[in-house]
Amino acid sequence: MAREAADGARAPAWRRALSGWVPLAVVLAVLVALMYPVALLLGLPLARTRMDNVANWVRATTTPKPLSAAPADVGAGAPAGAQLRFGGAENLTTARSVLVYGDRPVDATYDLLDGAAHLRDAVAGPLLEWGGALTGPLDARSPGDADTPADVATGAGVSEGVAGHVFALPAGRWEALYLGGRLLVPGADDAIERPDGVLATFTFPEAETGPVLVNGQLLLEGEGFEGDGRRIELRSPAPFNASVRRVSGDYAVLDAAAGTIALAEASAEAPRVATATLAVVERLVGEVDGVNRVFHLQHAPLVESDAGRRIMLEDVELSPAAERPAERVDGERKAFTFTSDRGVVTVNGAEALEGRDFGRAGPVVTFTVAPPRNAALRQYPDYVVNDPATGVITLAKPPAAGSRVWAATYTYYDHPACGSSEIECFLSMPQHPMPFPHWIAKRIPAFLTNYPLSDARNVVRATLYTAGGTLTALAFGGLLGVLLAIVFVGIRPLERALLPWVIASQTVPIIALVPVLLLLLGNAGVTVQTSLVPAALIGAYIAFFPVTVGTVTGLRSVDPLSLDLMKSYASSPLQVFWKVRFPAAVPYLFVSLKLGAAAALVGALVAETESNNRLGLGYAIVGQVQAGNVSDVWILLLISAALGIGLVALVGLLQRFTAPWERR
Amino acid sequence: MPEAPVIIDVQDVSKLFRVGKVEAVALQDANLQIHDGQFVSLIGPSGCGKTTLMRLVADLIEPTSGRITVAGKSPKEARAAREYGYVFQAPALYDWRNVLANVMLPLEIMGWPKGERRARAEEMLRLVGLEGFHRSYPWQLSGGMQQRVSIARALAFDPKLLLMDEPFGALDEITREVMNFELLRLWRQTGKTVVFVTHSIAEAVFLSSHIVVMTARPGRIREIIEVDLPYPRDHETRESERFFELTTRVREALRLGKEGEGAVGGAASVGGKGAGGPAKTLAKVGY
Repeated sequence: MAREAADGARAPAWRRALSGWVPLAVVLAVLVALMYPVALLLGLPLARTRMDNVANWVRATTTPKPLSAAPADVGAGAPAGAQLRFGGAENLTTARSVLVYGDRPVDATYDLLDGAAHLRDAVAGPLLEWGGALTGPLDARSPGDADTPADVATGAGVSEGVAGHVFALPAGRWEALYLGGRLLVPGADDAIERPDGVLATFTFPEAETGPVLVNGQLLLEGEGFEGDGRRIELRSPAPFNASVRRVSGDYAVLDAAAGTIALAEASAEAPRVATATLAVVERLVGEVDGVNRVFHLQHAPLVESDAGRRIMLEDVELSPAAERPAERVDGERKAFTFTSDRGVVTVNGAEALEGRDFGRAGPVVTFTVAPPRNAALRQYPDYVVNDPATGVITLAKPPAAGSRVWAATYTYYDHPACGSSEIECFLSMPQHPMPFPHWIAKRIPAFLTNYPLSDARNVVRATLYTAGGTLTALAFGGLLGVLLAIVFVGIRPLERALLPWVIASQTVPIIALVPVLLLLLGNAGVTVQTSLVPAALIGAYIAFFPVTVGTVTGLRSVDPLSLDLMKSYASSPLQVFWKVRFPAAVPYLFVSLKLGAAAALVGALVAETESNNRLGLGYAIVGQVQAGNVSDVWILLLISAALGIGLVALVGLLQRFTAPWERR
Repeated sequence: MPEAPVIIDVQDVSKLFRVGKVEAVALQDANLQIHDGQFVSLIGPSGCGKTTLMRLVADLIEPTSGRITVAGKSPKEARAAREYGYVFQAPALYDWRNVLANVMLPLEIMGWPKGERRARAEEMLRLVGLEGFHRSYPWQLSGGMQQRVSIARALAFDPKLLLMDEPFGALDEITREVMNFELLRLWRQTGKTVVFVTHSIAEAVFLSSHIVVMTARPGRIREIIEVDLPYPRDHETRESERFFELTTRVREALRLGKEGEGAVGGAASVGGKGAGGPAKTLAKVGY
């Protein structure tokens, strides 16, 4: 053993450090490492839920795919063998597409390959019909402010930054926009995050470039926001519930009411509007044999509240309307009167079959079995969406064999906005129940310097403020604790009278005590929101107790022999106290002061929280919890822990200086 | 040798302790006179009232009956006048004071001027052979050194009397012998009256001028034996024939005390042997 000791004494500094700090560091590393699986364990189910909810999916709209390039002679038609390219039709096949002009299918056979139609038959008539040109470019910053039409027309007040991006559409129906003969493909990505009035960082499902539209205002990269791939940082936070989109195609509608669009790339020339073009559209999938009534759309799930959905049979648009019966469904009635004399009849969403479930006499439908009371009885004159999830619809009448059933427009949920896997969705979550430690670590510098030191919201400042409150509390609590202890040890009857109450005082939950105290202080004229007094008082209230207990123990820890010795010197009670009892109590006092420091911090934080003291750390914690900034809450936890450790260490340092004999 | 004045006079002193309803007689009808300059050891089995007697003399407890005079005063007055220094079984040093400060403690309490305190404490530490340890804290010293500090502390304010209650009881045999030499030297050097409680016959014989043999249950003084070994005493003293005779006498006295409890009145003969010494001490055993 002696040799070991000698080795220990000779060990180099690094080895001593190894035996001292490394075990601590290893435990810390293990704990930090454990946070990763825990973060995944807690976060992945949430990511799954996010992924499964179609409300969080990216929506897409199927529209006719117009000619990608405007032909020089729009009225001439196209000969057999001609190749026509259609923008955005790359995923369509011959069998699943219909060639249309406006809302009218064109009778021509063709082979569709990679978005290009190879005509077998000539197409007569116009390929495209021009409408007017767009007006602009306009000032995008204030489209609604353009009071005089003249301003809009001339583009007066266009600011340098967004010049060439914004144009106004002419009135009337239109199908496509062309710029220099090239088709402009529309496209906009909605931000994944919901603007809450504070958030300035947004992520888009796909778009990595292009201008950003906030509530009909156009922002350019480097001017209104800084971009980093799919993530952008706005110069100023987006307003609450604003629409935050990014132009992913060639253009996006900027303000539907004002009829303005925003181009992804600036242009001096105004785009032109086509009121009708030759286009390919999606055919509904299903047998067209004169019998089949069930078809499905090529994309699902459908957006149910889709006002723009247009399903066509040849050149007739089918109505999605539903009719209710004139009579009440009371469980006994069998005959119901609708408006139309045709349609799909459903009872509680399930189709009832004519001939089997009901008989029809014009608009009057008579069931063989009365529908249950209050059942949802509907008649869809043209078609019903059976199941939005699979995109299946049932037509009222089977289309004639060989006729074309097609979808002009409908909106569907395409894919989860957060990503294609749970991990991706987990990583893209704006807030995690438990963030990865390195995310927290990365956030620390920004969090600490969020506000300048002169700002009361600065965290370092708040920490110092709370430290001040805690130390004040500890000073008062320590003093009170020591005085009480001296009184208790000195005057036994007082101890019997007071000690039960002192113990009882600690059983009062401070969370209940603080509001009462704040009321009293408020009535006494203290501005509790900006005062150290609540923190100091509550901190002292819970810090004095361990000090009292510790000091009483300490004062009584003197061995009888030492007291006999003092007696043999014929010393006065005061001398006994100062020379023996008090010094003997000092180590106990410091241990209890350390406990008191930790307790005082809790008291100070609670007091700050309940008094809404914006200067302290307690308020910051609650604020970040309420704002849901999980990483910041974690950082504040770390800061609070560090503050607690620091304060206890401070007491330890004090002990080293005032009670050096304890240094063993 | 001229008759030295009586410094401690114990007359018919009894002490009863009451623990709950049980009464224990710690000391019964003790009579003892100690003269100035003597080194008197109290020896006897556990529970014979040695420590009780010491504490009575020191006024740490009060007698149930009887009268004690210390330096011509009541024990209380003697304590107030700081007539004695007390060395306890344990060193009873204060952890928060270094060696020097521990020795200065009584001087502080007695209000000595600061400069004198220090000089006196340093002198005392030199006397017990602890110069160079002034700044050490008690926990840094060995048991023997701690007890030396405690002796230096007891001597610091120059009391007439030194009451030592088994000061070396916790030390090992070797350290104990060294400490015995030291104590003897100190006694010779300072000329103080020492009352010394011990369990060790050899220690008592080696150190004392007189040995008070006590018996237990109830605690009584049985016999007082004068130790006529010449001074200075050294290692040879321990090997002398007289030393063995004396230790044998003490041992016999202790044994007789045990056997003769409430029986033989052997006190007269033992007392006779003890008579004639310079100290006219008296062992009046009240059977």
